[in-house]
Amino acid sequence: MATPEANEEKPGENSILWVARPMATAARQFTKSLFRPSTIVYPYERLEDPKFRDRLEVASGKPFGVGEVWDNYRGVHALNIATCISCNLCAFSCPDICIDMVTVAGGDPKHPKKCPQIDYGKCSYCGFCSDACPEGCLTMTTRYELSTPKRSEMVYSPEKLYQVFRSKLPMNPIRLARPANEDAILLDPPLCIGCNACARDCPTNCITMLDVPKPEAKPGEKLPRRIWKEPVVNDSDCVRCGTCISVCPKECLFWGTRK
Amino acid sequence: MSTITLYSVAYGLASLLLGALGSILPGAARAAVTNVDVVTGLGVLIFAAILLAASMLNTIVLIWWERKLLGRFMDRRGAMHVGYAGLLQNFADGFKLFRKDTVKPREADALGFFTGPAAYMVTSMIIFGVLPISTGWNSGALPLSLLLALAIFSFAPLFIFVSAWSSNNKYSLMGGMRSAAQMIAYEVPLLLAVVAVVIVSGSFSLTTIVYEQQNYWYWGPLFVALIVFVAAMLAEMERIPFDLPEAEAELVEGWNTEYGGMLFAFFMLADYLRALVGSILVVLLFLGGWTMPSWVPSAATSFPLAGIFWFMLKTYLVFGVFVWIRASLPRVRTDQLLRVGWNRMIPLSLLAVFLAAVLVTVKCVWPFGCVPSMGV
Amino acid sequence: MSEMWINMGPQHPMTHGLWNLRVKIDGEMILDVDPEMGYLHRGIEKISEDRHYNEVITLMDRCCYVAGLAWEHLYIIASEEALHLEAPERALYLRVLCEEFQRLASHLMWYAAFVQDIGLMSPFLYGMRDRDLILDLLQSYTGARMTYEYMRVGGVRSDLPPGFTDRTRKVLDWLNARFVEYDQLCLGSDIFHKRCDGLGILKANDCVAHGVTGPMLRSAGVPRDLRRDRPYAVYDQLEFDIAHADTADVTGRYLVRMEEMRQSLRILRQVVDWLDRHPGPVMADQLPRWLGAPYAPVGNEGYLLKRHYPKGLGFSAVEEPHGEAQAYVVNEGGEHPYRVKFRSPVFANISAARQYLIGYRVADIPPIMGSVDVCVGEVDR
Repeated sequence: MATPEANEEKPGENSILWVARPMATAARQFTKSLFRPSTIVYPYERLEDPKFRDRLEVASGKPFGVGEVWDNYRGVHALNIATCISCNLCAFSCPDICIDMVTVAGGDPKHPKKCPQIDYGKCSYCGFCSDACPEGCLTMTTRYELSTPKRSEMVYSPEKLYQVFRSKLPMNPIRLARPANEDAILLDPPLCIGCNACARDCPTNCITMLDVPKPEAKPGEKLPRRIWKEPVVNDSDCVRCGTCISVCPKECLFWGTRK
Repeated sequence: MSTITLYSVAYGLASLLLGALGSILPGAARAAVTNVDVVTGLGVLIFAAILLAASMLNTIVLIWWERKLLGRFMDRRGAMHVGYAGLLQNFADGFKLFRKDTVKPREADALGFFTGPAAYMVTSMIIFGVLPISTGWNSGALPLSLLLALAIFSFAPLFIFVSAWSSNNKYSLMGGMRSAAQMIAYEVPLLLAVVAVVIVSGSFSLTTIVYEQQNYWYWGPLFVALIVFVAAMLAEMERIPFDLPEAEAELVEGWNTEYGGMLFAFFMLADYLRALVGSILVVLLFLGGWTMPSWVPSAATSFPLAGIFWFMLKTYLVFGVFVWIRASLPRVRTDQLLRVGWNRMIPLSLLAVFLAAVLVTVKCVWPFGCVPSMGV
Repeated sequence: MSEMWINMGPQHPMTHGLWNLRVKIDGEMILDVDPEMGYLHRGIEKISEDRHYNEVITLMDRCCYVAGLAWEHLYIIASEEALHLEAPERALYLRVLCEEFQRLASHLMWYAAFVQDIGLMSPFLYGMRDRDLILDLLQSYTGARMTYEYMRVGGVRSDLPPGFTDRTRKVLDWLNARFVEYDQLCLGSDIFHKRCDGLGILKANDCVAHGVTGPMLRSAGVPRDLRRDRPYAVYDQLEFDIAHADTADVTGRYLVRMEEMRQSLRILRQVVDWLDRHPGPVMADQLPRWLGAPYAPVGNEGYLLKRHYPKGLGFSAVEEPHGEAQAYVVNEGGEHPYRVKFRSPVFANISAARQYLIGYRVADIPPIMGSVDVCVGEVDR
């Protein structure tokens, strides 16, 4: 509980000398910042300006320039459309569900090429998408100014992201994550109907349909109606995007460890 | 005429205007407009207009000065965007506030709510009518101008309290209460410190007080009075460390919580008007007004409007000290403030009065020199 | 004046966030207080149940907007325990680096806000200026200034950029010199002592009774610090002292926090030296890929049931800048945590407001609540 007596003024303090020490400190700072305050006049000076990277003693003895290292900065994405394989991993890994896969020019009509379109109104710049990208085609740049009068302009189409890529801004170093052994696409053979959906939709074309021998039908038993082919996954090419699992109509593909 | 004075400017403008008007008018009307009473009347109006414009302009520049100075104390730059080094920023802010809607809370009392800021503003501006700025730049050698200035200065708590109470807001009410308590508590040491000056100079006229400081400025011999005066003035101006009435940490914005738009601008302007008056009073009473010591080369004091130049320079430097204090001290608490006011400041100011009496008696103080023979 | 209730908040300069302190006053005296929280509730614990383990990290940064990395660390320790994973040692050191940087940044933010509460204007800017240096360092290796999203289950996102440790040492030296300035501006001023001495007293037994932790508890003379009492990450390999005072008042909390910042500098120096000498991986080997990039398109997650997941429970307690934060993660199998529960230290600290506010004056509320260091993001979660 409070004891208001503790607040009572202590006797013997000199009221007039209240001010001396802090005022001396403030005056020292004043003389330091008189000619060059630490602030940066933002629209006219910029953090990424090399002036602030190179000069170690920037402002009033501050130890280093504020904009020195920008390589890891997570700003607007850059998309290299040419190397994108439409694997959907960026869209899957987005916590804000702000990535849509939209059709871009250049695919064949039956299987249009799809690339990420990012809604920066929702994006939180967490960088999970660029971490997940197996080809390193979606990275993040140092661009941070996005203000626009229209909300619709916050949605960056793949072409716009490609323009960001071509503007040669400093980009995050690309880290290609290594898939673990236990993550391989396995098949549950009795369920497969050989429909070719997985091989058709695989972004890396690492699935081939191989013939399986058609068994002899035992008397009184009916063979299943299916195409006598089975998918075989090339593990070194597979990026573990899971597209094949999600398109499989019979749910016969699953994650597992290759023996 | 060798020196330009406020009178000469105002009357010259008035006679020029009315003379031009009279030259295009027929006989009877010409006689009417060139009548000496009419010219004098218009001269007084122009005189007032010049005072108004000068005080407002100075207030706005003062705000700019505070923003820049405070910025440097805080390792930043202050306003930079509008005008050169942000000089026009305050005009931009003023126009913004001017364009904003004035919102009155439904339960607020309209009479007090609207007249409070206006009266606060007006009483702050009247003071400029009695403050001399330089030789000839005053509104008449009022024999009691110091008393009048301080009397008008102490009107403010009333209007603050009126507007705070009529806002019908708990924070406003608490701010108004604090403001009233604080200003009344600090009137006494303020006046007693002034009494010390009056004893030494032997006059209530600000002009005389300035000319009495020809041998030495009063800040040296009356140092105790200066300290008391500055501290009490800080409390009267409601600046940190004595800005409890609008302590934003606990009372949001104190007594002007409910005000917005132009009414807030009135309060803001009037606050800085009072700060300007406070700085001017310090200069007049303790720093020799527009005069400079005799060792200053005469070239520095004889150019046109030299008096106004030195006067404004001193005023802005004094205000700079107020800003310095604001930049480095925390805010005190109400009970501490009042205890300091009644228990410390009043004895200290009485001591200052006593020292002033001693000074008048002994006439000469090393190293400052002697009291002029006309004193007392 | 008669007694009246005033609402300090939810929009009020004292609150530093979005909460409401109802105060019953008589004149300037406080007769009763009633803290109300919940204005910033976003349901982070519930949202976490619908997110992959790594995606929860984005929420942790929003839990506390001044100490995001400390909360990431908290969650990461618990979820790694729940998932039976272990991060490499360099990652552990990097996490400690993050947490101590975050403690510095948070305390500098507290300093800035606290001096603003008692009306000191310049130190606010000084504190923010020096915090900016730490944010620059954090930005250079995490990639963001506030929402870092740096730690991952099984490691951290990236290693340090070249030249980082040298810059860090410069910043640490600079900060060490600035702390002297801070003390001159606050402790050197008698007004500060008049405003803060003997204010907001909360004795040790009251602290324990109300679950108050962190600098408030240490200022009451109890040198309890989870970094020492229940070491996590690599704190048991580092040398540091536990700051504590025995006045249990606002000045004591100020002293404790300033001393903690100095100790953080000491820890950071050791961590930086270690990082210079021991290069290595920052991510655990052979993590299941579904941690790095989960595959579930929204609404099409049924197929995920077909794989084998480990089950487990994770508990962690971290000395966050504000106090002791705890997390409990239940892994029932599956890509999402089954349940995530956090214990916010500030929630307990604010809840005891009645103990340390009644009997003081209205003008004492800002310094007292400022010394509590309220961060509403983690109170309401």
